[in-house]
This record gives sequence, structure tokens and C-alpha cells, in this order.
Amino acid sequence: MGLLALEQVTHFYGQLCALRNVSVEAEPGAIGLVGQNGAGKSTMLKILLGLVRPTQGRGEVLGHDIRRSGLELRGRVGYMPEAEVLLPGLRGVEFVALAGELSGMPRRHALRRAHEVLSYLGLEEARYRQHEEYSVGMKQRAKLAAALVHDPELLLLDEPTAGLDPEGREAMLELLGVLARKHGKSLILSTHLLSDVDRVCESVVIVHRGEIVSVGRIEDLRRHYRGRYRLRWQGAADEFLHDLEAEGVQVQRDGRPDEALAIVPEGWSTRTFFALADNRKIVLCGLEPEHENLEAVYHRVIGSSIRDGH
Amino acid sequence: MAIETLGYRGWSGALRWPWLACWPIVRTGLWLVLRRKVFWLLLALGLFNFLLHFAIIYTKATISVENPRAGRFLDNFRVTGTGEAYLDFMFAQGTVTMLLLAFAGSILVGGDYQQGGLVFYLSRRIDRRHYVLGKLLAIAAIVLMITTAPALALFLEYGMLSSSLDYFLENPRILLGIVGYGLLMAAVLSLLLGAIASWVHRAVPLVMIWAGIFVLLPVLGENLRHVRDNRLWRLLSLWRDLRMLGKSFFGSLRVERDEPELAYWAAWIVPAVCLVCLLLLVRRVRAVEVVK
Repeated sequence: MGLLALEQVTHFYGQLCALRNVSVEAEPGAIGLVGQNGAGKSTMLKILLGLVRPTQGRGEVLGHDIRRSGLELRGRVGYMPEAEVLLPGLRGVEFVALAGELSGMPRRHALRRAHEVLSYLGLEEARYRQHEEYSVGMKQRAKLAAALVHDPELLLLDEPTAGLDPEGREAMLELLGVLARKHGKSLILSTHLLSDVDRVCESVVIVHRGEIVSVGRIEDLRRHYRGRYRLRWQGAADEFLHDLEAEGVQVQRDGRPDEALAIVPEGWSTRTFFALADNRKIVLCGLEPEHENLEAVYHRVIGSSIRDGH
Repeated sequence: MAIETLGYRGWSGALRWPWLACWPIVRTGLWLVLRRKVFWLLLALGLFNFLLHFAIIYTKATISVENPRAGRFLDNFRVTGTGEAYLDFMFAQGTVTMLLLAFAGSILVGGDYQQGGLVFYLSRRIDRRHYVLGKLLAIAAIVLMITTAPALALFLEYGMLSSSLDYFLENPRILLGIVGYGLLMAAVLSLLLGAIASWVHRAVPLVMIWAGIFVLLPVLGENLRHVRDNRLWRLLSLWRDLRMLGKSFFGSLRVERDEPELAYWAAWIVPAVCLVCLLLLVRRVRAVEVVK
């Protein structure tokens, strides 16, 4: 069974179009939902959670209709909102247990499970502290614990690293990675921090101004970048680079004297690099396919979307 | 400790009926309110009136046994064990109830809008109906705690201090009146507070609006009644309207001259207020804040 399927989903807030004709399918796994602020990520999460009924279109999450089966859906999905969630006066363990009870767990089970999850997330010592006394990182973990307490199959995470210091962010990403890889949880990680998605997710959905402009496995999106090589050499390479350009290779120097980016034409063999270098008595000490990071993928996709008039 | 060394254990069990989630909402709401010292202070104020009545009933019962004439004198304090006495007692609890609710509103409902509680609740296996019912029940519980529970305690005390169980057997309508009037107040006040607090989240503006409804409007109504010479202006006092409707639960009580007409209009006004409040509340309970 697929994780989710949205078909021509459009949503308006009054006159404001938050999502326009969104169609996407995804299999279980860790999925990044990226886009600028106001792109429609949070609205999409709330539609996936059955909290917001789309103006048009239909969809399913874990086999549940997002229009009709909100309650059943939320029994199988955990949601970690971006905004701070504070119920002043509740202890950490009470806060998480309340989340469990509201998810339908019996009180005794919810309490026991709250202890387990808080311990798992490293808040064992802070379980009995008032929720409002938690640091930002602890609050983020408590929100994650509240999302995890009923052991959902899918976690919807809205900016889970927002406001965290580098160590806290590192720990949160590690945690999410472990939940996805070791414990088989499906994640939808909504963020504008592309490095977070690059670190945790296998697939990405790029949203721009309420429309999906790209979707797929991150590795597949990177493959669009084939034919780019980073070259490193020893010695004077001007003639070597000139030879490359004569063969139809675009050479981009980025200020470093012994390094360049080569964009090769169709049908190019990497052996030609070595042959040309040998001709000019150059020692080619590095030849690596250029990997586009997710940020570059994102900017390329958004750039082409803007050029296409979206 | 690295998280890999800690085991994550799954959970499998049957999830309960979503309506049962109203109880944790009520329990948490009451806990958030009762942990504030100011509420205990107001509660103590409310109990002061109760303790006074309690003591008078006890004293009257004791004195009546010794000296029936002195017992009749104590009837001047309106602690007579009649329906009217309980009606007056519950009406008199109004001031404290209003004060308590004015402060409770921002904690029980307003805080959910200010501090992300609403999304927290609605992202669970409940929907708006369960959330609204849970919050209304929490407010209603506070109203019942201040008005109905003490009145029931007084009713019990009065009956127990009688020489037989005749008091209970002869006055079932009083019991119905106390419960009915209490439930009416709880329903109307919880809807009103829920609606106002969902739109006005902060405590000070909420208290001001609340005071406007329960202090300013009655004063305005009285003044307009004199100026316009029209007693219908008295209907501006919602607390008085509730009393008039509540009176019907107690059966045949003494009725003032213009009361039937006022009660007729109150029977329209109170449900209309409830309906408007319910619509406002439901409209406001959404998991999304629209950002333009």
C-alpha cells in the first residue's frame, strides 16, 4: 500500500490560493517537503492529516480518505507542529500522556508509553519538570514524543529543527534518521532547511507558490547533473584546459589554481581527460563526478519553474 | 546516551472511542485552572457564602428544637429550605462565579490560541466537536462546583437535620430545581465564555468584556428601564434572565407582577445567545490560522 496519494488538490483560504492542483504519490519512507515560507507546506501537511479539507481534489493517506476519515487517519499518523505547543502547568510526562489519551489510548497505557518515549528521546531526567521550563531543544523533543506516543506509522514533522542550536539540530536529525531507518517509520519532513532533508530523506517534494514543481528520489534528481566532473591537477594547466574546450568541454574555474569544473558533451569518455592531460604532461590527480547538493537541485528546479512562468 | 543504545518499542492496542477523549480535556482544563492560587482564593470566597448558609441551617435546626419561636425568627434569613431559598443562594453565588470564569476563560480557552494548544488538540484523534465539548464541560464543571454542588450540599444538610426523611420525599421538585437551574447556568455560561475566550484570548480584555456583560449591561438595563419606563430593558441582565428561567425548574414559586412577561422574553433571549455563541465558537475552532 502506498503512503499517500493526492489528486488535483487545490485549497483556498478565502481568496488566497494556498495549494493549486497538487498531485503526488509516495511510497513509505522518509520524504522531504521543501519550499519557501508560505509555499504551502504547512497547508499540505494539514491536508494530509485531515485537519484541513481541501477546496477541490481528493487524496488518501495510508489508505484513508483525507476528506472523510480524519479521525482514523490521525490514529495512524503523528504530527509535530512547527509552532510552540505549551500547556502551562503540565509536566513533560503529563503532556505526552495527554497526547496519547487524545489519540485514543487508555490512560494507563498512555502514561506508560509517555515514560518510554520520553526516555527514548533523551528526556528521562526532565520527565517531571514543568513543560514551560523546558529549553527549545527539549520542547522540540517533547513535541516529537507527543507525535510518537501512539506509535504511528507516519510522522508529519513541520520544521522539526526550527530554533535549535547546532548540537540540538544534529541530535534531532540523528533521531529522525534512526526512526526512519531502524524503526521503519515513514516521515514527511517539511522544512526550508535543505540540508536537513538531504541528511534524513530519500525522496523530496519541492513546493513553490502552492504548486509541486518537482518530486522524486533525491538521487534521481541529482542524476540530472550527470556530465559534470571536478578536475584537480598538478602543474601549469592552461594548455590542457584549452584542449578540453577545443573538444567541446565547458570549463569553469572557481578561483582555485589547480581545480576546475568540466561540463562534458554527450558521448564523452573520461579516458579523454587522461589522454589530453598526458599530451600536455599534466598529472591529473583528481577526477570526480560532480554531485549536486539538494540546495543546487532546489535552486535549479525553482529557477526553471519561474522561467516557465509558474 | 546515544539513542541507538536505547530501544524504541512499538505499541499495539485498541484505540478508544473519540468521545472518551473529552474527559482528558476536561481534566487537564480543570487542572490548569485549579493550580492557580487566585482561583482557590475566589473559590474560598464562593464557599464563604455556602459556609454561612450551612452554619445558619445547623443553628436554626438546633434552635428550632429548643425554641420554635426563635427558629421562625431565623426564617428571616431566607434559609427556609424552600425552593426560593436555594434559588436565591445560587443566584447569590453569581458574583464569585463571574469572577472565577472571567479569569478561567483565558486559561481554559484563550491559552489554546496563544500557545499552540488548539493545533495540539486537533491534530490528535479528535475533531472540533470533541474539543468544543471537552472545553465546555470544563467550564461547566467550574460553574457547577460553585453553584450547584453547594446548593445540593445545603439541601442534603437541611433534610438530614430534619427529624425524618419527609423533607426529601416532599420536595423532589427542589432537587430538580437545583439541578436544572445549575445545568442551565452551566450550559449558558460555558457557551458564552467559550465563545468570548476563543475570540479574545488575553485575560484583561476578556475580563473587561465579561464585566461589560454582567455588570455594565444590567446597570444600563436598569437605567433605561427608568428612563424609558419599559421594564423589558431589565432583560439586558443575562444573570437575571437565567434566574427567571431557572425558577421554572423549582415549580410554583412566588411570582412578581411583571415576571411572566419577562420570563417569556428571557426564554427567547437565552437560547438565542446560546446559538450565537455556539456558532461563534465552532467558527473559531480551526486548526489553521490564515496568514496573508
